[in-house]
Amino acid sequence: MKTLAIILLATAPAWARNIDLSTVPSRDTVQLTIYNAEDLTLVRETRHVTFKKGVNPLQFSWANTLIDPTSVTLRFPKQAAQLEVLDTTYPLDKPQMLYWNVEAGGDMEAVAEISYFTSGITWSADYVCITDPGETVMDVTGFVRVFNHSGEEYENAQVRLVVGTINLVEKIAELAQRQYGKGIEQLEEGVAGAVRKLAAKDKVAEVANALAPAATSAGVPKKIEKEGLGEYFIYTVEGTETIQNGWSKRLRSFDGRQIPFKIQYRYRPAEYGDQLVRMFLLRNDAESKLGTTPLPDGIVRVYRDNGKDGLGFRVQQQIKYVPIGDKIELNLGPDPEVVHEWVKLKTWREHIWFQRQGLNVYKEYGGGTKLEINDVVVGWEDHVGYAERIRNYRPRPIEVELRRTFPGDVAFISKLEPARHDYQTVQLTASCPAGKKTELTYHVRTRQGHLAKQQNVTIERGG
Amino acid sequence: MPRFKSAPIVLTVLAVVVSPALARIKLITLPRRERVEIQLDQPNVTLVEEERVVPLLKGVNQVDFSWANTAIDKDSIQFRPLADPEGIKVLSVSYPPNENALVWQVSAGQSGPARVRISYIIGQLNKSFEYRATAAHDERSLLLSQYVKLQNLANEDFGEAGLWAGFGDHFLRPIGINETKQILSARFADVPIQKTYTASLAEFAYLDEPQKKLRIPMHYVLKNDKEHKLGRFPLMPGKARIFQDDGKGGEAFVGEDWGKFTPMDDEMKLYLGVAKDIVVRRVIARNDHKILAGNLANQEVVIQYEIENFKDSPVTLDVIEQARAVRHETRGDTKRDVEWELGSETTFAGGLDAEKSTFDRLVFHIPLKPRAADGAAEKVVHKLHLMIKNEW
Repeated sequence: MKTLAIILLATAPAWARNIDLSTVPSRDTVQLTIYNAEDLTLVRETRHVTFKKGVNPLQFSWANTLIDPTSVTLRFPKQAAQLEVLDTTYPLDKPQMLYWNVEAGGDMEAVAEISYFTSGITWSADYVCITDPGETVMDVTGFVRVFNHSGEEYENAQVRLVVGTINLVEKIAELAQRQYGKGIEQLEEGVAGAVRKLAAKDKVAEVANALAPAATSAGVPKKIEKEGLGEYFIYTVEGTETIQNGWSKRLRSFDGRQIPFKIQYRYRPAEYGDQLVRMFLLRNDAESKLGTTPLPDGIVRVYRDNGKDGLGFRVQQQIKYVPIGDKIELNLGPDPEVVHEWVKLKTWREHIWFQRQGLNVYKEYGGGTKLEINDVVVGWEDHVGYAERIRNYRPRPIEVELRRTFPGDVAFISKLEPARHDYQTVQLTASCPAGKKTELTYHVRTRQGHLAKQQNVTIERGG
Repeated sequence: MPRFKSAPIVLTVLAVVVSPALARIKLITLPRRERVEIQLDQPNVTLVEEERVVPLLKGVNQVDFSWANTAIDKDSIQFRPLADPEGIKVLSVSYPPNENALVWQVSAGQSGPARVRISYIIGQLNKSFEYRATAAHDERSLLLSQYVKLQNLANEDFGEAGLWAGFGDHFLRPIGINETKQILSARFADVPIQKTYTASLAEFAYLDEPQKKLRIPMHYVLKNDKEHKLGRFPLMPGKARIFQDDGKGGEAFVGEDWGKFTPMDDEMKLYLGVAKDIVVRRVIARNDHKILAGNLANQEVVIQYEIENFKDSPVTLDVIEQARAVRHETRGDTKRDVEWELGSETTFAGGLDAEKSTFDRLVFHIPLKPRAADGAAEKVVHKLHLMIKNEW
């Protein structure tokens, strides 16, 4: 399907005549810069156009596509001095069409560069991780998948994918639905400028002008070059690609082999629910044989090589953008071979304080203190003994990290080595040998009522 | 390129790196499935792996994979060469619009057949577990059989497929369209069991409330450890049908229950029904509020159990109380945990079961003699003296 056309009209203005003659220059090169955070693609195409001296009308139309008419621009980068775009006209009665009047200094052939925003072309990333049978290292393959629902087929297009969040004040898809001349608003210049700035990077422009006529040589997977640009990251697919309208195409973006990772069991109810979960932990850094590029948002699918030429599925998880150097945490869910129980062993109360009714007099119960019938309990300490019981039926020792949140004025008392994760959350770590049980016992004292002075947990050493 | 929709899942291969003249005459090969493995080890996901021998030509080949009326997760499909992964590479995957299909561009370093694995996540191919337990006539042991039930509503005939449930044996079975297949996955003989009778008002309520007679459920308790001839793997949840050897060469169905997920070293309790031959009358014999100071008080509660065993055999009765439920029963709830001690009037000889009791749950075991030869059952009276402390 070809719906985009540029027409060089023999006479002007075209809509004033019933009999017309036109030529249709074909597209020579096209470059797609696709953003993943917005439904936005910057298209830059070049076409060879022949001009005669004087004013030449050009018609550009984009029926049944999702182009933002406010974004369409025409330039002549190599003949800017001889060619000038005098005006742009959006006819009211002909939607998805515009006319340019171009004044030429003489008869000449020129390369016209037309750029515009379109919606309907998107891309996403996904990752496949396959661990070894012993679950110590994994191969990570990153993919990018480009979807074309724009209504236009871009043949042999250079494809660039932008990772990063861009600000748009109006959606391109909405702008594409509006008819120019009926109250359409200009795209905010600052935003459009930012996008165009990305497109105008010198190196990229050179590449665009020298687009290869065909894809990479047969048999070699295409390289996807990655480069940073300000707050953004650009993936440039080697050579050119043809993605037909309605189709999507998935390409390999990187391969990481034998990447070491760590297994940890975590209890973090705020993040993973009320269960101990198994985590695969790795980093997007050079030490982990990754770190050449940030990892865009995407789905990670984790498999285990079962050692018999087969795979076992482990988990499918959406990850957020991972900067270079940051950690990647994959939650495999509960493990039936590792059992975790939290048992309340004993509760008791101490240091019970009374207030004399109607008076600002407080007395602690016990020790011969004289109390009256109308005295009421206004403060006390709740004591609870707990045990965290972990059973490991796996053939390897495991590391466990537990986070418990205790609201109130709390002392966490144990012979363990706890750390305070936040003001009311205690973090415990332990290892549990293969086929063994580990029990972590501790005692929590909570000051209640009149005795409560704080809203935090303190850690104390004790039984 | 034509796609074949007559069979639900089709793989076709078209060599495209040939001369333009040859490219006009397309030869499409249809590699057959050589092997299928179905991985059932994840609770909510079924992974299918197919092995096919794909004829590849040196250069770029187009491998077309399509499916119809099956719930394959399109994004999960993978193509992996089993040999020569450096020479055979997937260059790209294209997804046509409105079709359940994809096209791999695969490069091969040399011509020849390549054994590949295609894996995907599929829906409507579900598994569940079932158990059949046959207790010995004396109810001291049972034969436990575990079955994996595979229900194939995926609209695909997988032929002879390898099945793995995540533990135990690997099976090879034909799995046809719309078939439900039950496969014996494990068998455990002579598993020692404990038949329990439980008196717990909080959990099982009254059988006859005006007379304060408790409902006494019976359970078979199986411990999932080596000592009890289990403990090979966690027992997955599933329905358990329970039979008993009738001592005459036959067996009787005695009930069924849902077995819960049972990690190793844990107990699976299977409910058998209500025991009518063990009568337990539970009353609050004493309920004293003792003021300590101001509005602070202790609550002394004595619960009395009158127990009769009308069975011909001795049994052990488990008596369970929940401290918070007792406080609620005797003085109302305060939403605070209960601080308690056992009082001197408690008569349970063995004391608390330390392993099964917690801060709130008190577990005792009482051995009961069988009824006498004349049919009369001895009435045994026990007391639980619970001191609920520091209440206000």
